[in-house]
Amino acid sequence: MSVIEYDVIIIGAGVAGLTAGAWLSEQGLKVALVTAGEPTACLSTGCIDVCAKNDDPLQGIAHLSQDHPFHLVSSGTIRQALDDFQQIMAAMNMPYTGGLENNRRVLSALGTFKTTCLTPVTMQASPQNENERIHIITFAGLKDFYPGYIISRFKNASFSTYDAGVSTTMGIAANFEDESFLEAFILWLEKQQVREDKIAVPAVLGLESAAAIIKQIEYRLERPVFEIPTIPPSMPGRRLFNGLKDHFRRKGGMIYWGWPVVGVEKTGRQIEAVMAQSQGRPNSLNARAFILATGSFVGGGLEAKRDTIVEKVFHLPVFVPGEREAWFDQDYFSMNHGIGRAGIAVDSSFRPVGCPWDNIFVCGAILAHTEALKNGCGHGFAIATGQAAAKSCLEHLP
Amino acid sequence: MKYEHCIRCTICVENCPVFRVNPAFPGPKQAGPDAQRFRSNREKSADEWVLSCSQCKRCEMACPCGVEPAQIILRAQQKYGLEHPHTAAHLLFANNYYLSTLGSLTAPLANRFAATKIGKKIFQRMGIATYIPFPKFSFKTLRGSMKSRSRETRKVAFFYGCFINFYRPDIGRKIIRMLQSFKIDVVLPPQWCCGLPALGNGNLALARSFAGKNIASLSNYVDAGYDVVYTCTSCGLCLLHDYQGIMEIPGAKKIAENSYDLHEYVLKLIAEREIKPQFKEVNRTLAYHIPCHLRALEIGYPAANLMQLIPGLTCQILDDNCCGLNGSYGFKKINEVTALQLGGRAVSLIKKTGAEAIVADCGSCRMQLAGLSGMDAFDPVEIICESLGIKDKK
Ligand SMILES: Cc1cc2nc3c(=O)[nH]c(=O)nc-3n(C[C@H](O)[C@H](O)[C@H](O)COP(=O)(O)OP(=O)(O)OC[C@H]3O[C@@H](n4cnc5c(N)ncnc54)[C@H](O)[C@@H]3O)c2cc1C
Ligand code: SF4
Ligand code: SF4
Repeated sequence: MSVIEYDVIIIGAGVAGLTAGAWLSEQGLKVALVTAGEPTACLSTGCIDVCAKNDDPLQGIAHLSQDHPFHLVSSGTIRQALDDFQQIMAAMNMPYTGGLENNRRVLSALGTFKTTCLTPVTMQASPQNENERIHIITFAGLKDFYPGYIISRFKNASFSTYDAGVSTTMGIAANFEDESFLEAFILWLEKQQVREDKIAVPAVLGLESAAAIIKQIEYRLERPVFEIPTIPPSMPGRRLFNGLKDHFRRKGGMIYWGWPVVGVEKTGRQIEAVMAQSQGRPNSLNARAFILATGSFVGGGLEAKRDTIVEKVFHLPVFVPGEREAWFDQDYFSMNHGIGRAGIAVDSSFRPVGCPWDNIFVCGAILAHTEALKNGCGHGFAIATGQAAAKSCLEHLP
Repeated sequence: MKYEHCIRCTICVENCPVFRVNPAFPGPKQAGPDAQRFRSNREKSADEWVLSCSQCKRCEMACPCGVEPAQIILRAQQKYGLEHPHTAAHLLFANNYYLSTLGSLTAPLANRFAATKIGKKIFQRMGIATYIPFPKFSFKTLRGSMKSRSRETRKVAFFYGCFINFYRPDIGRKIIRMLQSFKIDVVLPPQWCCGLPALGNGNLALARSFAGKNIASLSNYVDAGYDVVYTCTSCGLCLLHDYQGIMEIPGAKKIAENSYDLHEYVLKLIAEREIKPQFKEVNRTLAYHIPCHLRALEIGYPAANLMQLIPGLTCQILDDNCCGLNGSYGFKKINEVTALQLGGRAVSLIKKTGAEAIVADCGSCRMQLAGLSGMDAFDPVEIICESLGIKDKK
């Protein structure tokens, strides 16, 4: 028996689940989101990859394999979902730039470019080619960020080092939230007499106030400043997660942390409730419909056993790409591991194929044939399928 | 304690409030699963920095893989505590129950002492931070003032906890009045400190002795058909998790299965249509600071669900920040800077919401946030009682 009756319960706090949850709350439904932990968004660059296979993301999607679930989302919904996303993030003080017309490039810490669609405003000025003149700031002791990688590819680049007193991305970002620290940093930067056109900083320019902080530095230094994403702990990834999460809550959604779903209650063709692991009474929550957004292997939605792959919440049938030998490519770093295609196959209403229940909808990286890494369709795909699954859920709500 | 499941994603590190501001603390991943590979029972602890962990459990709530860094660190802290003689501050806070009993019997004197310069100096000497006022001891404790009524259907054994008992018995009395207004029979079972302060100060033996007594007492009530209701989120964590977990108290599972957070309990009664409270308008704009240990209870935020039912109330949830005090953690001189920085951060985010007052379930969060912000800080039940027209009559 549940303490509260919800209309819809979302399982998983990733970009897909939060998007679906916020959309349904916005329609006036009572929505709860339960999650085992934090999502892959926190590990990401914060950039929104829609489809990196083509300069034009929609063209790229059109050329994805026949069975790719992106084809289940109309281009109107994709457009709407990404527009909504940009509005949400602007309202959360972390605006995103770019649009569906064309992909753009973001400079990585390795000096290479990453293709993406929408970028946080802090990466708006990221150079689009290796001839741009940039000055890189690094921080004393900061691990895994070496300007040398970038300088070896950029002819017109130089760097200087600032001592922030701490040497972790988290610690430096926390310092930047302090006005006197920011002021001291700007004064130091002014003294460096930077000659290049743009200033690059690893992505540590604050957590809540990053957009305002970068604006202030640009204003004082009179030139564009941009962030370079770091390996985790990644501030832009966390800002993305925080923005979506706070928005969901402002729309009236409830979040249950530390709530790994381990079982379900069902009658006939309906799931009635989900249950979490608990040391006390069994925790359970009722709802009329459920949206599964537990991600792929890293997110925790899928688990590879010796020769099967299981979906951990509802034990839904999983599409498995052949025998175990076919799961992995010979080359470890290959983007073509067959296992990337594993996941839940759905019909056009985002309900799992061959599923004995009618009130489950699925979205995000757990969908079969997604291959987020290979196709460069990460958060953008999660946003689009999140909204599409939510729409279908509303339409079919029992 | 599943340190082998760690995929080194650093999500826990991103969530650790202490790591954010204290460069000497290596963070939950290194202090937890990473260091665990090298810890051995036969060797002495070499990692004094484990004591910098405040046991807020945020790392555990964030980990996608079910690793429990805070549990791993807690065990390392107990081992360290066993091997090292306790400082005056550790002993004092571990025994905060006895201190408070004493303080409350002699409240007027104790309060004056804590407020004086000499009192503050002595506290500093003992390694106790003095930047916020030490909690005021209340003269008339709850145990001494409440007589229970009897013979109604639902029966509740109220585990009120030290904070209410010694510092805010008025809140305790309101809770009892509210439950009685729902026709619930409330009793105050014999009870002792939950043991969390002792555990947090590396004194597992003392914690276990408190826990054993509480379990024995509550067990009688559960057997007689009572539900246990707690209101302090840290007491709750003991009843639900730590008595069964690190303290390994026999019979703890039965208590965990029958214990409810106050607001969770009220919601349950509403959902089961046993009660139908009439919430009246409350015109307030509040910032709801979620205590770390409420988050760690894994029951959602039931007081937020309840406050949603109150007309006129706007209440914004803030759950990304630890207040920094963490019970007795921030009262210790060595943690003062960490506690102040974290508190300052939490307060600045609260102020940004434009709220006129703070709500938080945990007494020590309220003490810290009210002290640093100059704003009022309420227990959610005070707001709910305001809406239900329930007052504290002595
Ligand atoms: C390291 C890394 C970097 C990436 N970088 C980028 C990038 O820069 N740009 C980009 O666009 N994409 C990136 N991606 C891809 C992108 O993160 C994902 O494709 C997308 O965000 C998927 O989101 P999701 O919501 O489907 O799932 P996830 O983000 O995987 O979230 C799943 C959620 O479900 C929860 N969960 C799992 N099991 C349970 C359970 N049993 N009960 C309750 N909850 C459960 C998890 O705790 C988690 O909160 C990256 C992926 C990884 C792994
Ligand atoms: S303990 Fe959990 S959150 Fe921390 S690094 Fe390991 S897997 Fe990630
Ligand atoms: S319990 Fe809190 S302070 Fe301790 S390691 Fe985990 S997040 Fe950090």
